Amino acid sequence: MFASNLAFVIAAYAVTWAVILGYFLRLMRAGGRVAGAERLAAGPGAERGR
Amino acid sequence: MPASDRSQDPRSSRTTTWLGIAGFGAVIAAQTFSILTSPAEGDMGDLQKIMYVHVPAAWMTFLAFLVVMIYSLRYLWKRREDDDLLAASAAEVGATFNGLTLLLGMIWGRPAWGVWWVWDARLTSTLVLFLIFAGYLALRAFVDDPQERARWSAAVGVIGAINVPIVYMSVKWWRTLHQPQSSPATLDPVYTRGLRLNAIALLILMIFFIRKRYEIARRERAVEHAAETAALGGR
Repeated sequence: MFASNLAFVIAAYAVTWAVILGYFLRLMRAGGRVAGAERLAAGPGAERGR
Repeated sequence: MPASDRSQDPRSSRTTTWLGIAGFGAVIAAQTFSILTSPAEGDMGDLQKIMYVHVPAAWMTFLAFLVVMIYSLRYLWKRREDDDLLAASAAEVGATFNGLTLLLGMIWGRPAWGVWWVWDARLTSTLVLFLIFAGYLALRAFVDDPQERARWSAAVGVIGAINVPIVYMSVKWWRTLHQPQSSPATLDPVYTRGLRLNAIALLILMIFFIRKRYEIARRERAVEHAAETAALGGR
C-alpha cells in the first residue's frame, strides 16, 4: 500500500513539473517566433542600425 | 521605429526574467521543504503530500480567471487593446493551471477513492471551467478581426469567471465525494506552513507566466500592426 501510494505522489510531482516546464518552453518558443517576426518586420539592415 | 521598440521595455523585461528565476526557485524550495518536513498523515499517509501541488494549482486557477474577468470588464468599458491582451494571457495561464488541477485530482483520486474520475459536483464544475476557457482560447485562434475577437473573448471571459464561485462552493452546495475546501483554517497546523509556502511560490510563478505571455502578446500585436501599416502603403 505504502509503495503504491508513493508512486502516486511521485507521479503528481512529475506531472506538475511536466506542465510547468512544458508551458515555460511554449512561452520561450513563442518569444523566439515573435523575435523572428520582428526582425522580418524591421527589414534588412535594421540590426546594423541599432 | 521598429514595432518591437514600442512594446518591449528592457527594464520591464528584466523584472519579468527575475520574477521567473524567483518563481522557479521558490517552487523548488517550497516543495522540498514541505515534502521533507511534513509527517505522513493519519488516514492518507504520504498521499497527503499531493495537497501541496493540487490545492495551490486550484487557487492559481481561480486567481487567473479573476484577472481575466477584471480585464475583460475593463476592455468592455474602455476598449483598450492592452486589457484584452492581458485578459487573454491570464486565460491561457489559468487554463494551464486548471488542467494541472484536474490531472492532480485524478492522480489523488485513484488511490484515495479507488477511481480516476467521478461525475461529482466539484470535479464536473472544474471540468466545465476548463472547457469554457479552452473554448475561449479556441475562439481567439479562429476570429481574425482583432476588435471582434477582443469583444467576444471579453464576453466569454466574464461568463467563464462566473463559474469560479460555483466551483469553489460546490462542495458546500451539493453532497460530493470531494472533501471540503482545504485551507490553512481547516488543516492541522503541521501542514499549514507547507501549503502557504507552496501557494506563495506558485503565485510568483503564475505572475511570471502572465507577465511573460502578456509581453509576447504585445510584441505579436506590434508586429501585426506594422504588417498592416506596410500593407496599406505606410499610411
